[in-house]
Amino acid sequence: MTNEVIGEAIYLARLSSGLTVAVARRPGFKKVFATFATHYGSIDNTFVIPGTEEPVTVPDGIAHFLEHKMFEKEGGGDVFNDFAALGASSNAYTDYTSTTFLFSSTSKVAENLEILLDFVQRPYFTEANVNKEKGIIEQEIRMYLDMPQDRLHSNLMGALYQHHPVRLDIAGSVESIRTITPELLYQCYQTFYHPSNMVVFIVGDVDPEDIWRQVERNQARKKFAMQPPITRPPTVRIPRVEQKMPVSAPLFMMGYKDTQVAGSGDALLRREIAMGLMWQMLLGKGSPLFADLYQAGLINERFHARYSGGTTFGVSALGGETLDPHRLESWLVERLLVEELNRDDLARLKKKEMGEMIGLFQSPEDLAYAFNNMFFRGIDLLSYIDVLSSITLDEIQEVRDSQLQEQSRAVSLILPVANSND
Amino acid sequence: MQHPIETEAGFVGHFHNGLGWYVYPTHRFKTITLQAFWVNDMDPATVSLGALLPHILKRGTVSWPNFTAIQQQLESLYGATFRADVGKIGDKQLISVSLEVIHGQYLPGKPDTLSASLEFLDEVLNRPQVNSGGVFENEYVTQEKELLTRQIHALINDKGQYALHRLIETMAQGRPFGLRKLGRVEDLVKVTPESLYAYYQTVRKSSPFVLMAVGDLDPDVIATYVSTHWNGHRSELVKIQPYTPLNREYEVIEKQPVQQGKINIGYFTRRTYASADYPALMMYAGILGGFAHSKLFVNVREKESLAYYAYARLDAALALMIIGAGIEFEDYPAVKRIIGEQLEAMRQGDIDQQEMHFTEQAFRNDILSEEDVPTQLIGRQMEKLVLGGGLSGEALIQALESVTVPEIQRVAEDITLDTIYFLTTDQAATGGDEAQGE
Repeated sequence: MTNEVIGEAIYLARLSSGLTVAVARRPGFKKVFATFATHYGSIDNTFVIPGTEEPVTVPDGIAHFLEHKMFEKEGGGDVFNDFAALGASSNAYTDYTSTTFLFSSTSKVAENLEILLDFVQRPYFTEANVNKEKGIIEQEIRMYLDMPQDRLHSNLMGALYQHHPVRLDIAGSVESIRTITPELLYQCYQTFYHPSNMVVFIVGDVDPEDIWRQVERNQARKKFAMQPPITRPPTVRIPRVEQKMPVSAPLFMMGYKDTQVAGSGDALLRREIAMGLMWQMLLGKGSPLFADLYQAGLINERFHARYSGGTTFGVSALGGETLDPHRLESWLVERLLVEELNRDDLARLKKKEMGEMIGLFQSPEDLAYAFNNMFFRGIDLLSYIDVLSSITLDEIQEVRDSQLQEQSRAVSLILPVANSND
Repeated sequence: MQHPIETEAGFVGHFHNGLGWYVYPTHRFKTITLQAFWVNDMDPATVSLGALLPHILKRGTVSWPNFTAIQQQLESLYGATFRADVGKIGDKQLISVSLEVIHGQYLPGKPDTLSASLEFLDEVLNRPQVNSGGVFENEYVTQEKELLTRQIHALINDKGQYALHRLIETMAQGRPFGLRKLGRVEDLVKVTPESLYAYYQTVRKSSPFVLMAVGDLDPDVIATYVSTHWNGHRSELVKIQPYTPLNREYEVIEKQPVQQGKINIGYFTRRTYASADYPALMMYAGILGGFAHSKLFVNVREKESLAYYAYARLDAALALMIIGAGIEFEDYPAVKRIIGEQLEAMRQGDIDQQEMHFTEQAFRNDILSEEDVPTQLIGRQMEKLVLGGGLSGEALIQALESVTVPEIQRVAEDITLDTIYFLTTDQAATGGDEAQGE
């Protein structure tokens, strides 16, 4: 994949096991950042195990639980120490649609890459190590429960979606994780951690061919059964949700569920870019509506509006702190539909998007996140610039008409508890 | 596999008579990052003015008279990232204005984004929008006072930060370093457009000023800009006052409707960044709680499953160490006990070769990785300037690697428990509010 306009390339190779390996070169960078990601996230809670017929449903939060447990090694010890011995730091995260394992290091890249490839492909779950993790993840869940911004978003998704598992917290609940067993973890692992469902992405001052060869050698030492594509049964509202927490001022978030989820590839990218430009034209910091809301004291500088999606869901979310959620909501609902969309704004915002795309290549963490996220949806990250430049004002108008539907709108509010002390 | 394509000398530049500039020339980045700082003492009389000023500077300049015009200019500059805010190091408040822009050589038509950025930065710093009375717009000041007041109140939304601040405030007992960088609501209400503008003029003319830049640029451009646009006779930087302990094992317990308890403990270390044996203290804190292989993480999280996070970190300016963890309410005594045991183990020199080696490597990785992030390079250089020395980069890595266990024990002996702060639930049983649909 290359793009001449911004002078960037991503070197891709697909190995015989089905694993994809991608490299972005950053000459002169001290750090190498590597991710090993699977197209398996919190929404994949119902699926058909390859070789069987009937879908199974697993406990909420199991993808995230599995991510934690991958760091455990047979015979005790954990993978953090293996990386630490080589001076690397490692981590992992789980979102709605993917699980990502990563390391960053300033030396011994080959050795660290070997550890990354091996630990993710060597599960070890026992009754004891699974039960031990429950206490740790319970504290992680409780930490999120005290974070108002996290609740605001989570409650909005719960309000927008009746059935789709995107309505559930990524980490599950204190109750759901208690039912997780080693057998269930192995079931999910066998289904979703197959090389054909995964991608390795490396950013740094490295040679792509060296990396390909190393991964190929590593994979050749392991046996993988052929696996047909995973079957994920399609999963297909309350208009308003409120929660009281010890916050200083109300937090407001309004969402529109995208009813035209476009599937994958270029069509999805096109819709996402158009949606992103639309929100910046309507509510970006340079927009008249943003200025008016700010002037009226209804929002602060951190107010934001953005679209995000997977292959089976898409949501526009806009929000921030406000003292008057009801007035803010009515202003938004009234003006979003009638704001003028003009060519100058579109041209200027395309320049902004282009600059941000170039800047993305300087931040390994953000680049890896964007690449993996697009890869699993069949999108070529470097086609972004060409698609961006071809978007028309008419397309922005069409996207607005389809997205701003009253029946797919919901509001989430976090309201201060009356006796909060500050 | 890695091959340097250039040799870098690091930052070039100087600082004297309260005025300076530093440039880190490199081809590594596609952006140019500029960051200007005014450094002031944290003083109850001015801290709120200092916190408010950057918000007003963002509202408009002579050429771009309102917020929308500024934002549209940034969009035209290929989505340049613009920040104007306050930071805090020890008892200093740093007012900073920064801009990160794509270097013109990577853009179609190769526009001169460096000149455009310097011009923009200069506008924001030196030519703010004023009203016919020659002071800041009353309307802007009123609005930004209101928004900053809300931001100050919003500390309570982030329980980890809230607990940390309450600990520091308790330790400070009214001394300047206990003030928040955002200032205080009671001082903010008294601010007028006139008082803020007078403060701005004083800062602009006489506060220590430094401009930092990272990217593919000629240092002379920055040197010339600073010498032609800034007054060369300014106040000197005053040394930061390190902590002197007033508490000994003082315990504060506060109750709120929360789902998780937050324990934060403050210790006096007797050493700042400029101390000769600061690397030994860094090793101490690293082995104790800096990383996933550290004693706190292993013993509080991995062995006992009592927390998701548990850390120890140093305040290099104030000679403090803070330990923090998010825990179950009833585990408070157990966690306190385990933390105490780990500190005792450090004092006894119960540190193996693996812990030493892992920690050295982890610091090496952190220190080198910072060099891939322009804002972190600037942050490190600024810290060095304000703290008056200390090692960085390869020299710091070398110093860390030569630290011995007896040297770590030596700094361990000086560490004293000052204050324990615990945020816990106000309810007898757990539960809290669940989301309710209408």
